[in-house]
Amino acid sequence: MSEETMMSARDVIMQRLRAKKSPQEGAYPLPPVVTLGDQDASPERFEASLALMGGKMLPLQEDEEIEQAIRRVFPEMRNLCTAVLEVKGTLRIEELETHEQADKVDVMVVRAAFGVAETGGIFLSEVELKDHLADVHLAQHLIVLLSKDELVGNMHNAYQERPEFRTAGYGVLMSGPSATADIQGVLIRGAQGVRSLSVIWA
Amino acid sequence: MSNRPVPHAKLAAEFLKDEPHRHFHDERLWDMRQKRDEQMQIMPEWQALREQASRLKEHTLAHLPQYLEQFEENARRNGIHVHWARDGAEHNRIVETILKDHGHSSIIKSKSMITDECEMREYLEPKGISVTETDLGERIQQLDNQLPSHVVVPAVQKLTTDVAKTFAKYYHTDPDIDDPHALAEAQRNAARPVLLSGDTGMTGGNFLVAETGSFVVCTNEGNADLSANLPDLHIATLGIERLVPRMADLGVFIRLLSRSALGSPITQYTTHFRKPKKGGEMHVILVDNGRSERLGMDDFWTSLKCIRCGACMNTCPVYRRSGGQSYGSVYSGPIGAIIDPTFNARKFSTLPFASTMNGSCTNVCPVKIDIHDQLYKWRRVLAERHEIPFVKREIMKMAGRLLAQPTMYRLAISGTEVALKTMPRFVLYNYLNPWGRHRELPHPVKETFHSWYKKNRLNKAGAQHEETQA
Repeated sequence: MSEETMMSARDVIMQRLRAKKSPQEGAYPLPPVVTLGDQDASPERFEASLALMGGKMLPLQEDEEIEQAIRRVFPEMRNLCTAVLEVKGTLRIEELETHEQADKVDVMVVRAAFGVAETGGIFLSEVELKDHLADVHLAQHLIVLLSKDELVGNMHNAYQERPEFRTAGYGVLMSGPSATADIQGVLIRGAQGVRSLSVIWA
Repeated sequence: MSNRPVPHAKLAAEFLKDEPHRHFHDERLWDMRQKRDEQMQIMPEWQALREQASRLKEHTLAHLPQYLEQFEENARRNGIHVHWARDGAEHNRIVETILKDHGHSSIIKSKSMITDECEMREYLEPKGISVTETDLGERIQQLDNQLPSHVVVPAVQKLTTDVAKTFAKYYHTDPDIDDPHALAEAQRNAARPVLLSGDTGMTGGNFLVAETGSFVVCTNEGNADLSANLPDLHIATLGIERLVPRMADLGVFIRLLSRSALGSPITQYTTHFRKPKKGGEMHVILVDNGRSERLGMDDFWTSLKCIRCGACMNTCPVYRRSGGQSYGSVYSGPIGAIIDPTFNARKFSTLPFASTMNGSCTNVCPVKIDIHDQLYKWRRVLAERHEIPFVKREIMKMAGRLLAQPTMYRLAISGTEVALKTMPRFVLYNYLNPWGRHRELPHPVKETFHSWYKKNRLNKAGAQHEETQA
């Protein structure tokens, strides 16, 4: 038996990597962290980026409650599932017992931990989703509540400033709804995940 | 796996026969390239981002053992099972064992080039484990039993009518649908029950973060987030070169990736996995499969910097006009042509020649891989190893001798001018001249630059030179 077959795969790979002559370690120092480009964290920039990614803003009308606005935009909705206290809905996300149940949700409402102005992205983790990680993606449409105070400028700012990337087990930045252009290059919003994503400043 | 050289030029010629396919393919990829340019042009920091991305990758590759250990330690601390696979076969056995231990038999899978590289489906399916691709393009390729044509858009070589025929066969939809929306909806409806019933989720991953033990998956359709989170078991396969040192480094790569790929500022979903979900189990398989060997190759190790954006494919005139299937490999286009020979030098010996050497691939690469230089270096390596065909080899030798001697070269050129003017076509256009198969040879010129210069400038230039000296 050769020496390699006696060793674990891990040790073999490590040994091969350590035996290499190039690239030499000393020749490639770790570059310092950079923060480049536009760091504007304004709601206006977020809105423009969200539109580019196929997401929408849902502005509230005068004296309108959030739930009223959702019902106005989705008049035919039957199941409104909510992960936020501001909206009562037809059921709470914690009440979903099976994924099949989530598959029948027309509209899901969640609150994002923060947003990224550069990309129109909103961040969701197991905290905001109450551990219902897949269910948010099974719903047909997504409404996201986002505070204007929780915006970062660009992706450098996001990774450097937001603690969630180090605390969340699952963390997704969603920029607009699911999309595909896999058939003859035609862009289709609403591929396998949510068909639409709308943000309400709240 | 057959060891015969992939007949790239022949397969490309087949692809080019159908005008609608040829035209769409070229236009679609060029459109992606132009959208990438638009993003680049509005970002003054673009070149600084590329430089930083390149330096970060070079540093990480130079210190790979240290960062792999750091990743493993942090991932284990977070409750992730970390496995190591020397090659594709070992990877596939690990997946099989995990499923058997759980009594599982159905995998719902998001797109990952590396499981294709390992030929995982081919291994698992005869053992009674079903593997369903959930990415639309990858699913189309799976149903048609083909390799992905492109790392980002796997079915880009197909038209709507092709997809309609495939879906009609497997999803029983109307074979004459010519609306991509209706077909995408058919895929959504077909995928949902499979997603809901799958017992194991599999994903690839774009980045491993050593500092936190996390991995990142960038997708657009939402299928990876469904595949990973619906079942209680999530297995992720990543190559060992996917590491970045710090969470803060991700900003650089995420800002470059989708802009380079599709010209969109970011993928619709950028997903960070750091821990198994509540009540779930998570496995990460780190695959070598030739990477450690490639890292030791002086001329080729920087190809491991690749983040699989496909920008080099979109810009390559040869790729756009030959189609991914003609490369006969999981990785096609310029990046495929420089990494495929490390898997099998004989089989992929034709690919480094599928280039005009225009260097555009190198210019668009977000991590600054010198792709066209490596294409050139591969040609040299393959010639030394006698992996190129006789005619090409002999003609190259003759050309080499000729170009090395100015007097001989000039004599030959004046001879060629006469030949181009006077020789019959069958002498000029034959099997020794594949270049002339689709092209006309250049018109003979009345006078070469050299003879013009000798007549008009040489004496004057000499005189001028003397004046300056005085």
